Amino acid sequence: MEKIDRLGWAAGIAFVSYGLRIGIRASSPQILDRLQELLPPNAKPTRGPRVECMYSLIVRGTKVGSNVRRFNILYGDAVPLVRTKDTDRVLEALEMDLQLYVAERARRRVFVHAGVVGWRGSAIVIPGRTMSGKTTLVRALVRAGATYYSDEYAVLDERGRVHPYPKPMSIRENGGGRPRKILPEAFGGTTGVRPLPVGLVVATSYREGARWRPRRLSPGRAVMELLAHTVSARRDPERAFATLRSATGEATVIKGARGEAEEIAEVLLGRLTEQAGQGS
Amino acid sequence: METTRALMPRAREDELVVEELPDETLVYDLKRHKARCLNRTAALVWRHCDGQTTVPELAALLGEQLATPTDEAVVWMALDRLGRAHLLSEPVTLPADRARYSRREVLRTLRRVAGISLLLPVIESIVAPRAAAQASCISATACTAGSPPCISLPICGQPGQCCVQLGSKCRVRTC
Repeated sequence: MEKIDRLGWAAGIAFVSYGLRIGIRASSPQILDRLQELLPPNAKPTRGPRVECMYSLIVRGTKVGSNVRRFNILYGDAVPLVRTKDTDRVLEALEMDLQLYVAERARRRVFVHAGVVGWRGSAIVIPGRTMSGKTTLVRALVRAGATYYSDEYAVLDERGRVHPYPKPMSIRENGGGRPRKILPEAFGGTTGVRPLPVGLVVATSYREGARWRPRRLSPGRAVMELLAHTVSARRDPERAFATLRSATGEATVIKGARGEAEEIAEVLLGRLTEQAGQGS
Repeated sequence: METTRALMPRAREDELVVEELPDETLVYDLKRHKARCLNRTAALVWRHCDGQTTVPELAALLGEQLATPTDEAVVWMALDRLGRAHLLSEPVTLPADRARYSRREVLRTLRRVAGISLLLPVIESIVAPRAAAQASCISATACTAGSPPCISLPICGQPGQCCVQLGSKCRVRTC
């Protein structure tokens, strides 16, 4: 038993997310209310005694053992992850680490760091690093009538279909700082519920003044483009290859710098409409 | 001593994940965590590196499968690229005049062949990302407000900068 297991915990929750059993325990029951909003989408409570990963949160100001703690401290299993007096910061760290843990280890799903929307029965997947403009483009597509699936991960199954990951969009103002979280319904959008085949993959990032002249990628390069953003690429490359190949099998994959999101959104939706028309 | 003409290269097989596509081959190197995409020419040469086929024979096979005459220079170019990508069991010693096997030289030699650029062996590579590299960012303020251990995340709005531990503090530094 680790030392941390002997501290005595006031409250906790356990849930299943993408086949993983995860627990979160805290030194204060009051913090549990805030934990619910940090969980991955579709997390379901579980009562089983065993979990694969346990997060432990010592809340600042609570008595743990014989001491009143001056810092919030977050542990992932017995490993200290962050120590801070800022409660929002420690919850932010918990949310990020939890999200990444699930994305890397999910059973029967491959997570690609990407924005996703649905349009006329197909998905548009926008892979990209943080701050590449994915959320901006996703928001523009939703405003243009597409259905919101995610601004964080494309969650792919073995057949290459993409599932919704409907966390609220994280909107960062002025290129940094703590993001605002908003739901697509706040600006007239809707959230998808069923898995979709991938129709279009758009590898792009914002560049001021860029003209939209994307080039089409070969099937092999298409897989490579997505692999570069696949969370479990190193942990399970075989499954990543097979899943990405399925996902891109019937999709058009294009790459190029873009200008303003609103202009590109219409072009992309038009392209997917045209593709759907040719396929029918 | 084995001459270059008698060379019979062998493809590496250990610690590789291979996914065959119709005109390309994807290879994941488990040792180096690198993914490679071989175009049709590179894939054909690699597939026939069985330790029993000479370079002239590889050229003939390539010509047959691509339905166009193929110079040995293309095969040497492919072997050079395959060797540098660690996809051969042993490094290949190129002929003494190795400058012949640069892309420019091969193109110059074969310029009479229509569509020659499509014949050239191409291997594209990426380093597979670490899971943590896919995380969202944190603000510089949030990074420096914390105490070790610091979560090593990118800093929002500052490409190439991460939150790292320096002594007893969390600081923004180059990733």
